[in-house]
Amino acid sequence: MLGKLLKYEMRATGRTLLPLFLSLLLVAGISRLLFGAGHQKWDVATVISLAVYAVIMAGMFVMTFVVMIQRFYRNLLSDEGYLMFTLPVKPWKHIVSKLLVSMMWIVVSVAVALVSIIIVNYRPGAWTKMITFSGGLGSSAHFLAFIVSALVSLAAGILLIYASIAIGHLVNRHKVLASFAGFIVLNTLTQIVGQVFRSLFHTIQVNSGHFAFAQARSELAIACAIAFMVLLSAAYFAVTNHILAKRLNLE
Amino acid sequence: MSTILECKSLGKRFGNKPALSDVSLEVARGQIVGLLGPNGSGKSTLIKLANGLLTPSNGKILVGGREPDIETKKIISYLPERTYLNDWMRVHEIIEFFSDFYADFKPEKAYDMLKRLNIDPQDRLRTMSKGTKEKVQLILVMSREADLYLLDEPIGGVDPAARDYILQTILGNYNENGTIIISTHLISDIEKILDYVIFINQGRVILTSSVDDIRDNQGKTVDALFREVFKC
Repeated sequence: MLGKLLKYEMRATGRTLLPLFLSLLLVAGISRLLFGAGHQKWDVATVISLAVYAVIMAGMFVMTFVVMIQRFYRNLLSDEGYLMFTLPVKPWKHIVSKLLVSMMWIVVSVAVALVSIIIVNYRPGAWTKMITFSGGLGSSAHFLAFIVSALVSLAAGILLIYASIAIGHLVNRHKVLASFAGFIVLNTLTQIVGQVFRSLFHTIQVNSGHFAFAQARSELAIACAIAFMVLLSAAYFAVTNHILAKRLNLE
Repeated sequence: MSTILECKSLGKRFGNKPALSDVSLEVARGQIVGLLGPNGSGKSTLIKLANGLLTPSNGKILVGGREPDIETKKIISYLPERTYLNDWMRVHEIIEFFSDFYADFKPEKAYDMLKRLNIDPQDRLRTMSKGTKEKVQLILVMSREADLYLLDEPIGGVDPAARDYILQTILGNYNENGTIIISTHLISDIEKILDYVIFINQGRVILTSSVDDIRDNQGKTVDALFREVFKC
């Protein structure tokens, strides 16, 4: 059932986002051609195409964000929820399918943005520079840690928004306002817990002789940060799932 | 196991406003039941509770002996009083969606009914009139071989000529061993197909009876009894 939900979720979101991704790459290509055609750097055509490029780039990120919220709110908690919640599917699968597809589109939009930047700015010899630059990022283990922590933070961010919307749903009136209030409360709680977690980590670090080396210390810090984000995600997920499974009240 | 739907002192409040209070009733399998009451009497609330779209404030609602969960959703085919379909999907895509999620959905039945109503499976819902959309939803709901059909105001939005067709569609397609609960305030239109009625007003069940009993023992039509009971 999760596979089927993912399929329909991708179809429902892809129809909005894919054209945006394609148009960004297209406009990047046009800008590139204008440069290549020997136009002066600030000639009208170039400026217009770069302006359009910038607007589409911004629009792409905004839309990815909007679609993420809209799919959760509209598809599950407004009229379309009548269909989704009468399907013989456990509520957690709805959350997971929407989370995974949102994460995928955010990653794809970042990738599309990077590719479009390369299209616009590519110069002969740029690859070697980029490879040298990325070589400076550190070992592959560090790179992997960076990717994992980026994905886990992304999941935590999305689940925080889902949990806020779900909390807003508990209130009878002013649901949107209540969602914002839910967001502020959850975020503040997270900050407090995070602060406690950090000072705890600091105490352990200071009192332990094993981590004398800066390298090992920073690795431990990253591992703890990832573990903290995983715990946060699990907490937001549990709140959202509890509300959808036990406190559902569709208007 | 002859009871398909059971309510035990079921109550639902929205804030301080009670929508259903202390409802206890049992619906036996294999009947067509009218859930009858004026607007705002709690009909939709009761049906939504059975679907698990609302959580009870008090008491219990049981479908086939279970509180609403994934197993009860497998056996209920629900027609809500609103449009719940994406307007960008084509009819045949929605049929695929239903086939994917409901094991008891019969696509050939759906295509057959669409053909008889001259609805093109390639059409998008966006381009359809409100009445056509309602017909598509009814077709989807009646193409399942469910144990319990919950139809909330299935004839509310269509013209009187289409009502007869819709009633025929309902009667001609439901799973014979199944139970149908139809909520409506348009009683005279559906009276002739009902076996049993539940009268509901201001969130309380005020009468449950078989239609034969009303006709034979009280010598009234359901419509006449309804007008008498709900006299303003």
